[in-house]
Amino acid sequence: MTPPGGAATPAPESPRPPGPTGVPDPAGAADPAGAADPAGAADPAGAADPAGAGDPAGAAQTEASLLARAQAGDVTAFERLSGAYADRLYMLLVRLLGDPAEAEDVAQEVMLRAWRGIARFRGQSSYFTWLYRIAVNEANRALEKRARQPAGVSIGARELDLPAAPEEEPSRQAENSELRRALGRALAGLPPPLRTAIVLRDVEGLSTQEAAEIAGVGQAAFKSRLHQARLRVRAAIGDEALAGSGG
Amino acid sequence: MGMPGRTGDHKWSQRHLSHYIEGDLRPRARRRLDRHAHGCADCGRGIRAMRALVHAVHGLDGLTGSRAPATIFDRARLAGAGGAPSSPNA
Repeated sequence: MTPPGGAATPAPESPRPPGPTGVPDPAGAADPAGAADPAGAADPAGAADPAGAGDPAGAAQTEASLLARAQAGDVTAFERLSGAYADRLYMLLVRLLGDPAEAEDVAQEVMLRAWRGIARFRGQSSYFTWLYRIAVNEANRALEKRARQPAGVSIGARELDLPAAPEEEPSRQAENSELRRALGRALAGLPPPLRTAIVLRDVEGLSTQEAAEIAGVGQAAFKSRLHQARLRVRAAIGDEALAGSGG
Repeated sequence: MGMPGRTGDHKWSQRHLSHYIEGDLRPRARRRLDRHAHGCADCGRGIRAMRALVHAVHGLDGLTGSRAPATIFDRARLAGAGGAPSSPNA
């Protein structure tokens, strides 16, 4: 039986073992089910906007309040809290897995694991970092599962489909389409730890510190992975193609 | 790290191209790579390629603006209906 919070749930915020000990009792909580919206129909991307840029102090307060409610058993608060990061998280999974349908399935699993593990979240990292770390762990788990599939079932490393940026002019889209395909193939061919490094740092644009924390390694190790990933992608694409990318 | 010869400098520079474009090298190390790359076409090309790569990877990803599927909370909702997080039945 998988313990609550499961093996894939990152444990940096979990100094004690998972289990009912010390878990807030929803039955004793003032409003455990989110009486205002028990069906969880609130817009998960939500009015609360915990990540909102408009009022960072207010957003942090809102996030803390939602977190406390979620830890007390309010799944609606959990949805509002996590919903602020849902789009980014889904995009990360598409980038790591190269398959929107699989990304959707894994995203559901990430949210389930986050919900199960949220009572043990101690705030030693940001909630976003914690959630992203679960996502990376789950993506790696899915990739391992894919790799274990018998020949004939597995299609191997899937080419990452990097669609054209919506704001790109048509001529630019055509110009970049070949490079995009080459990048997709090169990224898909990377071992998961290297792919994770380049996706978090170069595609997502996270800081090295944050990306390393999400990847679950120290900064030096992360930089080494990133360097290896860039070298491999560069070798796969070729300097000539890169020179024409406008970089 | 001992005093490198030209070959040592080249190998060292190739190993640190990514750190160089990240701005992670200490001033002394950065000057060392600068000095070497000035006279080494291979390393000069390497720096340009690394920068172009980072630009390309970031700029070509058209996923920005995509929305998460509406089903993303389905399993959490189901579990949430059954009890608090980390409860034995969750």
